[in-house]
Amino acid sequence: MKSKRFEALAARPVNQDGYVQEWPEVGLIAMNSPFDPKPSIKIENGRIVEMDGKARADFDMLDTFIADHAIRLGNAEKAMAMDSLDIARKIVDINVSRDEILDITLSVTPAKLTEIVGKLTIVEIMMGMTKMRARLMPANQCHVTNVKDNPVQIAADAAEAAVRGFAEMETTVGIARYAPFNAMALFVGAQAGRPGIMTQCALEEATELQLGMRGFTTYAETISVYGTEPVFMDGDDTPYSKAFLASCYASRGLKMRFTSGTGSEVQMGYAEGKSMLYLEARCLAVTKGAGVQGTQNGSVSCVGVPAGVPGGIRAIAAENLIAMLLDLESTTSNDQTFTHSDLRRVARSVPQLFSGTDYICSGYSATPNYDNMFAGSNWDADDYDDWNIIQRDMRIDGGLQPVKEEDVIKARNKAARALQGMFRELGLPPITDEEVEAATYARGSEDMPNRNVNEDLKAIEAMMARKVTGVDFVKALDKAGFPDVAQNIYNMLRQKVAGDYLHTASIFDKDFHVYSGVNAPNDYHGPMTGYQLSEERWEQIKNIPNAIRPEDI
Amino acid sequence: MDQEALMRQIVEQVMSAMSKGAAPAAPAGGKMTAANYPLAEKEADKLKTPTGKPFSSLSYEKVLSGELTSDDMRIAPETLEYQAQVAESVNREAFAGNLRRAAELIAVPDERLLEIYNALRPYRSTKQELIDIANELDGKYGAKTAAALVREAAEVYEKRDRLKKF
Repeated sequence: MKSKRFEALAARPVNQDGYVQEWPEVGLIAMNSPFDPKPSIKIENGRIVEMDGKARADFDMLDTFIADHAIRLGNAEKAMAMDSLDIARKIVDINVSRDEILDITLSVTPAKLTEIVGKLTIVEIMMGMTKMRARLMPANQCHVTNVKDNPVQIAADAAEAAVRGFAEMETTVGIARYAPFNAMALFVGAQAGRPGIMTQCALEEATELQLGMRGFTTYAETISVYGTEPVFMDGDDTPYSKAFLASCYASRGLKMRFTSGTGSEVQMGYAEGKSMLYLEARCLAVTKGAGVQGTQNGSVSCVGVPAGVPGGIRAIAAENLIAMLLDLESTTSNDQTFTHSDLRRVARSVPQLFSGTDYICSGYSATPNYDNMFAGSNWDADDYDDWNIIQRDMRIDGGLQPVKEEDVIKARNKAARALQGMFRELGLPPITDEEVEAATYARGSEDMPNRNVNEDLKAIEAMMARKVTGVDFVKALDKAGFPDVAQNIYNMLRQKVAGDYLHTASIFDKDFHVYSGVNAPNDYHGPMTGYQLSEERWEQIKNIPNAIRPEDI
Repeated sequence: MDQEALMRQIVEQVMSAMSKGAAPAAPAGGKMTAANYPLAEKEADKLKTPTGKPFSSLSYEKVLSGELTSDDMRIAPETLEYQAQVAESVNREAFAGNLRRAAELIAVPDERLLEIYNALRPYRSTKQELIDIANELDGKYGAKTAAALVREAAEVYEKRDRLKKF
C-alpha cells in the first residue's frame, strides 16, 4: 500500500528540487568542513610567511595575492590569536561597534573568517548583517532584460522599476552584439523613470569595460573571482589581471564591484576538498586585496549547489556577512532561481531582506521570469505586490514601494518615447509608435512586436564604429524634445568626473546627491539605532492601494 | 515621503553624529577626509577635468553646444587622489590604493588599457612581455604602482606556470 499523505507530499514543488548529501572530500559541503584549513598566520620582516597552515613556499597564486595584499599586518597576530567564538560573540554584541569588529576582521585570514561565522546561527548572522553592512539604509537592484533583446521594452521596464524604487539596474543580452542597444535603453529608461539610478550591462570583461568607457553604463558588477587557482584560470583571469581591471574602471570614473559565490568551484570541478564557504572567503579576500569597494556575492548563479546541501542557505547568508566583515559593499544576490517552492524562495531571502543589505537583490527581475536572461530570478515582476506586502507585514524597507498604475503607465510611455526620439536623432532603425504603445502596456516580450534584428545589429556596428558616446545621447535626447531625460544623462556623466560614487556602497537620490559608506555609514548599535523607518517612508510602504479604508465602509 | 526627504533626514542624522565626534574630523594637513565628501558638492572648486576645465564650469548647455566633449567628461588624476584621501580617512586603505593605481592609468589610452588587461590574463604573455609592459607603464606613463603590480604578476605567473606556452 502507498500512503496517500506521502503521495501528496511527493507532488509538492519542494520535492521537485534536487538535494544531495554532504560529501566533504569533493567540496560538497556548505561550511565547517573537516578538511578546511586551521587558521594560522606567521609574519617575518613585514611579510606573511605562513597562512592557514601553509608555508609561503607552498602558496598557490591566490594565497600569494591574499597574503601580500588582503590582510592588515599591524594587528594580524593579535587578531588571529583571539578565540573565534569570542569574535563571533562580539559580532552580535550591540556594545561592540562596527569599527571595533572591522579592526579584528580586516586583520585575519580566510580560514579564520570562515571559523568565526561558523559559530553563528542564522539569526545571529542576521544580527551581524544589521550591524555590519556598510551603508545606513538598505537598497535594491533589478535585472532588466528580455528574450527578444527589445530595447523599447528594456527602456519601459527600467522606467517602471525606477518608479517602484530600485537604485541600481543591470541588463544583459541574448545576442551579444545587441549589448550597446540594451545598455542605452536601460540608461535612458532608468533616467526617464527616476534621476540618479546607476545602470550596468553584464558582458565579457573587456567588452563590458569598453561600454563603460564609452559612457553607455555607469558601473560594472560581473567581474568574477574564484576561490581556487584552477577555477580562476578556467575563468580566464588571475587575481592580478582582475586587480588591474578594477583600476581600469576607476581610472574612467566608473564604479565597480567584483562577483563571487559559494558553489562555483565545486560546480566547475576544482573545490580541492574545501567547504564552499572557505573558498568564498578566499574570493572575498582577493576582492579586498584588489582594493575593490564591494562585492556581489551570495552564491549568485551557482545557488543550486549550496541549496542542495545541508545548511547551504545559511552558508549563503554567512558569505554575505563575511563580505560585510571585510567592509565591502554587500550586494547580496537573491537572484537566480533555485527552487520550485514558493515557501523556499521566500525563506532564502529572509536573512538579507529582513536584516537589510546594501543591495538586497542583485537582482530582482523587473520582468516576468520568461524574459529574465540571467536564467531567471528568485523574485520577478509578478511578485512586486508580494514584496510590497512583506515589507508592510514586517515593517521593513526592502527598497521598493507600492505604486499607482497610472504612474507606471506614464513612466513606461515616457521612457519608450524618449528612446524613440533618441534613436531617430542618432539615425538608428526607427522605433514605431506601435512599439511605444506596446511597451507602455506590456507585461513582457510576448506583448511586443518583433524588430528587424539584422537591421538593428548592422546599425549597432555602424554606431560603435563612429564612436558614439554618452555625450551623444545627451544631445540626441535634447533635440528629440526630452531635455529633462537628457539632463539626467548629463548629470550621471558629470558624476564620473567627480568620482564620489566610486566609494563603498554608493547610491544617488533623485537630485544626484550621493549616499555611501562615507557620508551615510551604518551606525547600528542596538534597538532604536541605525536605519529607522521614518514616518513618511512607513506611510509610503504601508499605503497599498487595495487596503480597505474605514471611510469607505 | 519622496526619496529626497528621506535622504535629507538621513543626512541630518549623519551630520548630527559627526558633530558629536563619531565621524572623522575636518581636514588636517590639507588632506581630504570624509568631512569634505561628497567632493562634487563640497569641494567643487578644487576639481578639474583631465583637460584642465574647472568642474564647476561644466554645464548641460556646453555639452549641447559642443564646447564640452566626451574627453572632458572624465575623471582627473588629482580627483582620484582626493578620493583616495577620503577613503583613507575612513580606514579603507586597500580601496585608496586601487584609486591611486587608477589615477596613474588615466593617461593610458582606452585601447592600450584593454590590451594590457588582456595581456595579464593567464597564458597570454611571456615573462619578458610582462616586464616590457611594466617598463612601458613606468617609463611612458609614470604609472609606478600599476607597473609594480604587473612585475609582481610576472614573478607569480612564472612560479605558477601561467605564462604563455610556446
